[in-house]
Amino acid sequence: MLSQAVVKRLKEIVGERNVVTDKVGLLTYGYDGTLLSGEALGVVSPQTTEQVVEIVKLMNEHDIKLVPRGAGTNESGGTIPSEKSVVISFTKMTKIHEIDTENFVAVVEPGVINFDLQVELAKKNFYFPPDPSSFKASTIGGNLGECSGGPKCFKYGVTRDYMLGLEVVLPNGKVIQTGGRNFQSEPGYDLTRIIVGSEGILGLVTKVFVRILPIPRAKKTMLALYDKVEDASQTVADIVAAGIIPTTLELMDNLLINTTEDFTHAGLPRDAGAVLIIEVDGYPEDMDGQVKTIGEIASKIAKEFKVAQTAVEVDQIWTSRRSAFGSVARVRPSYGVNDITVPRSNFPKAIEGVLKVAKDFGVTIGVVAHAGDGNLHPLILFDQRNKEETETVHAAEQALCMMALDLDGTISGEHGIGLVKKKYLDKEFTPAAMEAFRKIKRSFDPSNRFNPGKIIDL
Amino acid sequence: MGVLADVYEMLNTCNKCGGCHTACKTYKLTGSEEMSTRGRIQLIKAVADGKLEPNQEYEDAIMSCLLCGECAVTCPNGVHGNELVMAARRDLKLRKGIKPFVKSFALNTLASPKRLGMGFRLFGGMGKSVLNKIDGLDYFRGIDIRNFPTAKKPFLEQVPQKITVQHPKHKVGFYVGCFLNHSLDQTAHSVVKVLTKNDCEVIIPKDQVCCGLPQYCYGDFETAKRNARKTIDTFLDKYSDAEVVLSACGSCVAMLRHDYLKLFADEPSYLPKVKSFCEKVVEFSEYMAKIGVDQSKLHNSTPLTVTYHDPCHMVRGLKVTTQPRQLLQMVPRVEYKEMFEANRCCGAAGLIQAFYHEVSTDITDQKTQNIKDTNADLVATSCPACMLRLQGGINKAGQKQKVMHVADVMANAYED
Ligand SMILES: Cc1cc2nc3c(=O)[nH]c(=O)nc-3n(C[C@H](O)[C@H](O)[C@H](O)COP(=O)(O)OP(=O)(O)OC[C@H]3O[C@@H](n4cnc5c(N)ncnc54)[C@H](O)[C@@H]3O)c2cc1C
Ligand code: SF4
Ligand code: SF4
Repeated sequence: MLSQAVVKRLKEIVGERNVVTDKVGLLTYGYDGTLLSGEALGVVSPQTTEQVVEIVKLMNEHDIKLVPRGAGTNESGGTIPSEKSVVISFTKMTKIHEIDTENFVAVVEPGVINFDLQVELAKKNFYFPPDPSSFKASTIGGNLGECSGGPKCFKYGVTRDYMLGLEVVLPNGKVIQTGGRNFQSEPGYDLTRIIVGSEGILGLVTKVFVRILPIPRAKKTMLALYDKVEDASQTVADIVAAGIIPTTLELMDNLLINTTEDFTHAGLPRDAGAVLIIEVDGYPEDMDGQVKTIGEIASKIAKEFKVAQTAVEVDQIWTSRRSAFGSVARVRPSYGVNDITVPRSNFPKAIEGVLKVAKDFGVTIGVVAHAGDGNLHPLILFDQRNKEETETVHAAEQALCMMALDLDGTISGEHGIGLVKKKYLDKEFTPAAMEAFRKIKRSFDPSNRFNPGKIIDL
Repeated sequence: MGVLADVYEMLNTCNKCGGCHTACKTYKLTGSEEMSTRGRIQLIKAVADGKLEPNQEYEDAIMSCLLCGECAVTCPNGVHGNELVMAARRDLKLRKGIKPFVKSFALNTLASPKRLGMGFRLFGGMGKSVLNKIDGLDYFRGIDIRNFPTAKKPFLEQVPQKITVQHPKHKVGFYVGCFLNHSLDQTAHSVVKVLTKNDCEVIIPKDQVCCGLPQYCYGDFETAKRNARKTIDTFLDKYSDAEVVLSACGSCVAMLRHDYLKLFADEPSYLPKVKSFCEKVVEFSEYMAKIGVDQSKLHNSTPLTVTYHDPCHMVRGLKVTTQPRQLLQMVPRVEYKEMFEANRCCGAAGLIQAFYHEVSTDITDQKTQNIKDTNADLVATSCPACMLRLQGGINKAGQKQKVMHVADVMANAYED
């Protein structure tokens, strides 16, 4: 329980309605996209940087930890409240300060929802390339907290590559600005890149300078259908080997084709073993050539290759892909998302590995992948209410992580470590590297006040 | 657990992906998780699991839902947030009756024809004159009370039970509904005019009552059933010559056609009768488009730019969206302009506008802005509650557009 005095002070800082301490409110800020949950002492929603500073100082005085939160859609337990903590929710810092199309920069508050930014940018014929499938819900603060990726990342890179500068409130209550409007890297350490992907454990981001791009003049969306998921993975390797970089190269297996079809009725064939969604963009005159080359490569193995003809068709395809994670509860109520990533050339081996784990452990796994990046999301489906099954799932997840590491891959491509993947981190990094992580955390946050327990234990 | 047990699998199917955040206006405008679909569902689940005892904050989260149904069409897992909220309201009602006092007062009033008529007139007469004396009280909780229309006499008392035409091709039973009876009686007259101009004989039973939707929405199934039974028996037994039961209120139609079936699911002996009633129910635009409107009788010389707002129950409940737009464009010299997010809730949402007015006012402000952006002279819609809400919002924003029912726009285009 927070003391009356602390609650009163918090209300003075952010206003009466932006402080939550009742059970109902606390419950709804206790979960995220994972199966975990926790309960904070309170939730506070600031609207300005000054308020954030005041909150940090007050919490320091009372030795209370802070858990930063955006929309709470992360898949790693990154916003689950730890003991004796207050959730600081950024969903009410939603101003888009500026869209500067001359310099390709937008300045936004962290609570701006990715999609809402895209809508404003589109009015000026611009866009923000990082587009996690959760983009209609997730915030820019959360995107940078996890260094999220999305379908467009094959060609355009991940969130990190679009962060020009940040305003950050440090655990001691001081405000710093890293980077800024300039494209060239900043003098000194690249602090922006240390904060991006740090999952809220180093600082609270209150303002973001993002890089934006003009919307490409033309794009083409293609579908390649396969009998087996292994076949699809071969096309991925072939396209990469041919030196072509599509904007996106997304894979869904039979299970996901069916669950998304239940929702979108996009007309994907339910009997296909896998589908690849391939998109290219650029100048109109380049489209036909690229489509032709990709068609030739894909058709070697695919049972069908087609190019979407209308905008509606393209929309439906993307709605399907974007709802993939969301739709699997149609099969079983709980899912564990894995986020393993391997070098592109090893992608077919990773797919084989996933199929083997499913077989060895007797679990249902659906696969959706940002195939171009070698990033796979094997979704293990189960029912959390069944203890025994849940344990098997954990074991299967561990096997997936080990398999990825064996293929020179990583345990997490874009979802972060949080609480869920913490136990595998020292399998990927040497003790010396782990110690370097801890040292960085300690130099920012010696008293372990921001998002304690996430990524690493001190 | 009871009612919640019945929906437990659906509660458990929500995997907290947050996909519904974008659908839920009460979340978008407040940024508060407990005002989101996902938040509501997790709270209901906590109650079902016995981890949370329903309290005032829980009730607020449940009662502030607009029941707009947007979340149900957005959820990739097929979870229907609005239905779960309905179950939670029913559960609350069974636990402790509907509180606070005002809500049950409002609902009881709606359920009883006499009290309802009195309420509307009181409001229009003495009520308003008192309010007029209080400075700055033009908008009570975002509702434009000064301009809240009240029929001098209920529509049902203004018309005979049967309105005949020269060469009747169809026989239509008119289910008027509370709002058209007591407040927007002009619109009820418009409906009759359009019907008779298209060779429909209109049967208007005087003894019709509230459809029961408001009570149903707040979990009072007993009262809702009483009214439903009366409505069904009236139209099926007493006025069985009516080929269809037509209403010009999208919400009433959704209730009469779909929710009655759910309401009586536990009464197998009565259910067949409910089914045959439901099959007879039609919505105004849907019916007119079906029987065909004689366009040569429609006249209009002043150019008119018109936009259309889809009421929640029309677009997601009945899935009737093209017909009203078609009918509007049949009127000569009408230029039709689509607005941004035409199919999103206007903020009225039954009693939400009175009890959770802050959210609902923000929602309406967005809607009025979208209307303004079309440069339309006129907003047409298909639900009297939306009409009142929209006109209130437009007046409050100092805009000039007039809000009308599709039936009004058409009726104005007949020469006499
Ligand atoms: C259906 C679904 C699809 C998804 N698809 C993708 C995908 O395609 N690609 C992908 O990469 N991820 C995906 N995700 C995961 C998730 O949506 C992303 O990680 C997203 O960026 C999280 O954003 P959020 O606003 O929900 O942040 P939250 O979950 O609230 O927070 C994420 C992290 O950022 C920190 N944080 C938030 N705001 C701040 C701030 N202002 N300052 C400092 N730290 C902060 C939090 O402490 C936490 O560690 C998906 C999730 C779901 C449920
Ligand atoms: S209701 Fe559906 S969209 Fe919303 S969080 Fe639950 S599963 Fe996701
Ligand atoms: S019915 Fe509407 S207001 Fe209610 S939870 Fe769903 S989207 Fe939100």
